[in-house]
Amino acid sequence: MLICDEYLTPASLDEAFAAMAQHRGRSRIVAGCTDTLPWAREGRAGDVNIPVLIDVSRIPELNERRVDERRVRLGAATSIQSFLDDPALARALPAMPRCAVWFADDQIRVQATIGGNIVNASPAADATPCLIAHEAEVELAKNEGGKIARRRMKLADFVQGPSRTGLADGELLTAVECDALPGYGGSFEKVGHRRSLVISLVCLAVLVKLDAAGHTIEDLRLSIAGIGPRPLRLAQVEQFLRGQALSAGLLEQAADMPAPLVASRTRQEYRREVVRGFMLRGLINAAKRAGADPAALTPELEAAYG
Amino acid sequence: MARKRGRGMAACWYGIARTATVDRAAAWAEIDDGGSAKIVTGVTEIGEGILTVLAQIAAHEMGVKPEHVVIGDNDTARSPEAAHAGATRQTYMIGNAVALASREARKRLVDVMADVWDVEADAIRTGNGEIWAENTNHRITMGEAVHCAKGKGVVPVGSASFGTDTTGLAPTDGAGRPWQAYVFGAQVAEVEVDTVTGEVQVLGIWAAHDVGRAVNPQGVEGQIEGGVVQALGQGLMEDYKLDQGHTSTHGFAKYILPTSLDVPRVNSIIVEERDPIGPLGVKGIGEPAMVPTIPAIMNAIYDAVGVRITALPATPEKVLMAIREKERRDAAMAQAAE
Amino acid sequence: MVDFRLDAVINGRKVSRPAKPSQRLLDFIRDDLNLTGNKEGCGAGECGTCSVFVDGVLMKSCLLPVAKAQGARIDTVESLAKTGELSVLQKAFHKAGASQCGYCIPGMVMAATAALRINPFADREEIKERLGGNICRCTGYQKIFDAVELARDVQNGRLPASALLEEDYTDGDFIGKNVRRLDAPSKVSGKLKYAGDMTMPGMLHVQVLRSPHAHARIVSIDTSAAEAMEGVEGVITCADVPGEDGFGVFVNDQPIMARGKVRYVGEAIAAVAAEDLVTARRALAAIKVEYEALPAVFDAFEAMQPGAPVLHDYAPDNLTKHIPIRVGDVEKGFAESDLVIEETYSTQAIEHAYLEPEAGLAYVDHDGVVTVLSPSQNITHHRHMLARIIAKPISKVRFIMSPVGGGFGGKEDMIYQGMLALLAMKTDRPVRLVFTREESIVSTAKRHPSRTTLRMGLTRDGRIKALQMKMVCDGGAYGLSTEGVMRKAAILGAGPYAIPNVQVDTYGIYTNNTPSGAFRSFGALQTQFATESHLDMAAERLGLDPFEIRRINAMQDGGFTHTKQKLGKVSLTKGLDALEKACGWEAGPPEQRGATRKDLGRADTRPPVALGARFEAPGKQEAAE
Repeated sequence: MLICDEYLTPASLDEAFAAMAQHRGRSRIVAGCTDTLPWAREGRAGDVNIPVLIDVSRIPELNERRVDERRVRLGAATSIQSFLDDPALARALPAMPRCAVWFADDQIRVQATIGGNIVNASPAADATPCLIAHEAEVELAKNEGGKIARRRMKLADFVQGPSRTGLADGELLTAVECDALPGYGGSFEKVGHRRSLVISLVCLAVLVKLDAAGHTIEDLRLSIAGIGPRPLRLAQVEQFLRGQALSAGLLEQAADMPAPLVASRTRQEYRREVVRGFMLRGLINAAKRAGADPAALTPELEAAYG
Repeated sequence: MARKRGRGMAACWYGIARTATVDRAAAWAEIDDGGSAKIVTGVTEIGEGILTVLAQIAAHEMGVKPEHVVIGDNDTARSPEAAHAGATRQTYMIGNAVALASREARKRLVDVMADVWDVEADAIRTGNGEIWAENTNHRITMGEAVHCAKGKGVVPVGSASFGTDTTGLAPTDGAGRPWQAYVFGAQVAEVEVDTVTGEVQVLGIWAAHDVGRAVNPQGVEGQIEGGVVQALGQGLMEDYKLDQGHTSTHGFAKYILPTSLDVPRVNSIIVEERDPIGPLGVKGIGEPAMVPTIPAIMNAIYDAVGVRITALPATPEKVLMAIREKERRDAAMAQAAE
Repeated sequence: MVDFRLDAVINGRKVSRPAKPSQRLLDFIRDDLNLTGNKEGCGAGECGTCSVFVDGVLMKSCLLPVAKAQGARIDTVESLAKTGELSVLQKAFHKAGASQCGYCIPGMVMAATAALRINPFADREEIKERLGGNICRCTGYQKIFDAVELARDVQNGRLPASALLEEDYTDGDFIGKNVRRLDAPSKVSGKLKYAGDMTMPGMLHVQVLRSPHAHARIVSIDTSAAEAMEGVEGVITCADVPGEDGFGVFVNDQPIMARGKVRYVGEAIAAVAAEDLVTARRALAAIKVEYEALPAVFDAFEAMQPGAPVLHDYAPDNLTKHIPIRVGDVEKGFAESDLVIEETYSTQAIEHAYLEPEAGLAYVDHDGVVTVLSPSQNITHHRHMLARIIAKPISKVRFIMSPVGGGFGGKEDMIYQGMLALLAMKTDRPVRLVFTREESIVSTAKRHPSRTTLRMGLTRDGRIKALQMKMVCDGGAYGLSTEGVMRKAAILGAGPYAIPNVQVDTYGIYTNNTPSGAFRSFGALQTQFATESHLDMAAERLGLDPFEIRRINAMQDGGFTHTKQKLGKVSLTKGLDALEKACGWEAGPPEQRGATRKDLGRADTRPPVALGARFEAPGKQEAAE
C-alpha cells in the first residue's frame, strides 16, 4: 500500500522545482503512476510511506511534442498511446507503433509516460530500445538559483542498469529528443510468456533505410533489451551492415554477431537463440517495409525466420 | 516455415460427485402464489450457472417459467444441506434433488386439481405457467391452481433428498464403487509453434464431452471453454514458483494467466448418454472439460515440431530448447548414418 | 495527512467532497461513493476489474491516485444502465452467456464498451486486442467475444434488437434450452454485491499477520503494543481459540492461526480488527513474534527420506496419504508386451486465480449466533468445523454464502473464516477481511505439483497389457484436500481403458511449501496428462492413429473399472467418433505429421495473433480511427 500525506500536482516546472526543494528527501516524482502503485505492494516494496508525491504529468511543457523531418522532441509526459494515435509520430518513428502495440494494454498505454518508462530503467523496458535506436537524448532540468538549468545526455548512457539512471538529485527528466527517421522500415520483435500485458524476455528494435532500388542498406539502427542489465545499441552490427548490399548471407552473418552480448542472469542460452532469430526476423521485416527488392531476400530465409 | 502447425488429441474420463464416499443433497420446493415457484437448497453458485440450471429444472418439472422461479440458496441456518460446490456434482446431486422435490410439489397441486376437475391425476398436464386436463376444457393458470389448492387447505410443497450408492476403496487394491456416474470425453488441439521464439499458440480446440443430458447447452459450452482455457494456462504459461518456500510470483504481473489474445477458438461437441440412475439423466461437466486439454496440446506440439514436453508448463524457452536439442540429435544421427 | 477536496463529475453527477491523498480512484468510488460495481482484482493494473472511463478514456482505477481525477469526468460501470435498462452490450453479455462468476464482468463490459466506441466495426481479432487488459478466469473468453460481436452487429443494424432477447421457449420444456442466466443482469450491471462490496454499521477492518518463515518454532508473540494502539479493537492469536483447534477437508491438521510453529511462508499467525484498514496494517507491524528457525524441506522426494524434517507429529514420515490401485499382475503384463515405454512427467503448482480475492464478514447476531458470510465453496462443512473450534452448538453457528467470484476448488478451505468469527466474538462488532491479491496467492492452496513415472506395456496390435504408475505430489504444509486428490488421481490415472494389469500408487507428501489443495480436475489432470501423452508415444511406435489406439483400448459397456466396478454404458467411443468427425481429423500415426497435414487452419480455428497486423493493412487502421 502506498501511503502519502500529500499529493501535489504542480502546474509548471517552477512549481515542480519549488515542491521538490521544499520536500527534498521526503518526496517522489510520479507521472503515469502505472509502476509506482504496483511497486508499493507485497512482493515488491510492500507498504511504502512517502510523505509527498509530486505528479509532474500535468506540467504543460512535459506534454509538448514537436516533430520535423530531422528531429522529434517528446515531452516526458507523452503517453505511450501517442505513438499509436499520432500519425506524425508514427511516420517519424517507424518502429515505435509496433513497440507500442505490444506495450502493456490499451488502458495502461494511455496512462504510462515515455519519461516514466525511461526513468524506471527496467532491463526489459520496451520503449527504451526503440528510442536508443533513434539516437535519443534525454533532457534533464534542475533549478539553479531560481533559474532552470538544462543538460542533455544520451539515452543509452542515461540508463545504467536496473532502476539506475544518470538522473542527479533535484533533476527532472523533461523531454526526449531523437532522430526522425521517416522512410525507414521499422520492426519491433518481442517475446514474453503471453501476448498481452507481458514483460519482454527479449525485444529488438530495427530500423532500415534502403536505396531507391531496395538493394543497398544505406542506414540502419538496431537496439535490444532484455538480454542484460540495460538496453543496448548494436553499433558493431550496424557498422557491419551499413552500405552493404542486402542478401540472405549478409543478414545471417549479422544475426550471429550479438549473441555474446547476452548477459542476463537467467535464460542465457534461450536468449541467445532468440536474439539470432529476432535479428533475422527483424531485419527481414524492416527491410521489406523499407521497400526491399524481393529478389534480395531468399524465400528460404523468409520461410525460416519470417 | 518458422511457424509450424500441428494437431494432437487426448481422451479422458471422470467420476461425477464425491469420490468414494456417499454423496447427498436435499431441496425444498413450493409452487407459490401467482404461479411462481420457490426452491430452497444449500446450492453454491460459483459461476457455473447452477442457479439457472436449477430454475430450468424446477420450471420444467412444476410447469412454471424459469424466470418465475426464486431460489433461496446457501445459508446453513435457512436451507437444507446440499453440500459443496465441487466434484462436478451440483447439477447431478442438486439438480436431481430439485427435480424430485419439484415433482412432489407438483403432485400435491395436481391431486387437488384432479379432485376439483374430477379427472384422473395422470390426465393432468402442466407447462409454461398453465395446468390443464387432457381431452377436457379444463385449463387454468398455475396461479389460479395455487389459489384453488390453498382454498382447499393445501400448500403445494415438496422436499427431496438425493443420495448415491457408492463405497470407499479397499485399502490394499483400491477395489470399490467410488461413483455411480462416469463421464468420458476427448479433445483435439491445433497449435502453431514459432521456431524462432518457442512460443506456442493454440488456435483451435474441439472438445467432445458426455454430460448425460445438457440442461443448458450454452452453460455446458461455457464450462468447456473455461476449462480448456484454464488447462491451456497450466499447459503453457502458469507457474507458481517457490524458492525455499518463498514465492516469486506474488501477483498477476509475475503469475501469468491467459488473456484474450492467448485463447483458441473452442468448438464444443456435446455428447448425451443419459445417466440411468438419477431422475433427470444429467451428469456433469465442470472438471472433465479440463482434463484432456493439456495432453492434447502437448501431442499437437509434438506433431508440429517433433518435441515431447513432459514437464509443464511448455514455456517458449522450454519448447525452443527442446527444438534445438532435437535438431542437434537429428544432425548427429544423420552424421552417424553417413 | 492533507485531505483535499475532489471536484469531479462522476456518472453524470457533480461530486465535491474530501479525498485522501493516499486513496486511489478505485478506493474513492467504492468506499466513499459506494459505487461497488467496479471491483478490485489485483491492485496492480493487471486484471482490469477496476476499469473505468476517465474523460471518456478507459483506465484502470487501481493505478490512479484519486488526485488524478481532479476536474475529470468519471464513468463507472453503474453509468451504463443508469436508467435501469441495460445497455446493448450488457444485454448482449446476458444473451451470449458471457458472465459466469461475474467478478471480472463489470470491468470487461467497460472494456468492451470502450472497444466498440473506438471502433464500432471492430472485428473479432481487434476486439480481442482491445480486451487484452482484462482477465477472465471462468469463461475462456469465447462467449465474451461472442457478446461483443453480437452487440456490435445490433448497434450497426446488421442484426435486429430482438437478437438480444431470449428465444421463445413456450412449450414448457425448459431442459436443453439456452435459458438466459438469471443472475446475469446483476453481474453485467455491477449490482451484485460480493463480500468485499458489503459493509455493516460499526464494521471493523481485519488484517492478518503472516509468517515470513517456512518452518519455525514460535517462541513468543507479543501483541500488547498493537492492542494499545488507538483504533485497534481486537487482536487474536491461537490463544483465543476456545474449542478444539484444527480444520481441513480430510484431516484437521491446520490451526486457525499458527500454534507452536509455522509450517509455510504466509501462514496466519495473528489477526487485528481496527477502525480502518491503515490502522489495522500499522497494528500488524507492532506485533512482535520471536521465531526459532527449524530445518525445512521443500521437495516431496526429500521429505520422504528418513531423517527429513518432520512437519506434523502425527505423520513422522511426512506422508499425508498413499492410495494404491491393483488389478492383475503388472510384471506378467509387461512380460506379455511387445513394447514397453517408460517416461516421467511433471506438473507445476498453479494458482486458482479466481478474480475475486478471498473476503468475508462476520458478526454475532441478536440470538448469539456466530455468523460468517463468505464466498466459500463448502459452508456446510465449515459450519461443522467452526462449531467445534469455537466450542458452540451447531445451531449457534451460521454460514451464509456470499456470491462466489470464482472458486475452482480454491475456496473450499476454511482458511480465514475462523479468524473472522473469533474477532467478531472478541470485539462484539461486525468485522470484514478482504484479501489482497498477493495475500491470496501466498496463503491459499495451489494445484498439487506432481511427478509421475509411468510404464506401459502394449502388444503389437496396440492393446495395453500393463500399466504401472507412481505419482508423488507435494502437498505442502497442510493436508487440506490432499487425500482426496490422491484418491481421484489414482482411480482415474490409468485412463478410460480396459487394462488387465494395473498398478497405481499415488503419494501426497507434506513439505514446507504453500499447501496444495482442491483444484478443478483434482489429481486426474496430473495423472491423465501422463497417460494421454504416453498413449501417443505408443501410437507412434506402433504406427497407429491416436484415435485408433484409444478405441482399441476403450472401456466398453458393462466393462470394469480399475477399482473393479462394473460399468453401465460407456460413452467414450461415441465421444471419440463425434470428435473425429467434428474436427475433420486426418488419420495417421502421431509422427510429426504437422507439415503435411491437410486438416489444419480450418474455419473453426482462429488466426494466430499478429499484433501490429493493423499496420500492414492501412484500410483497417483508418477504420479503427
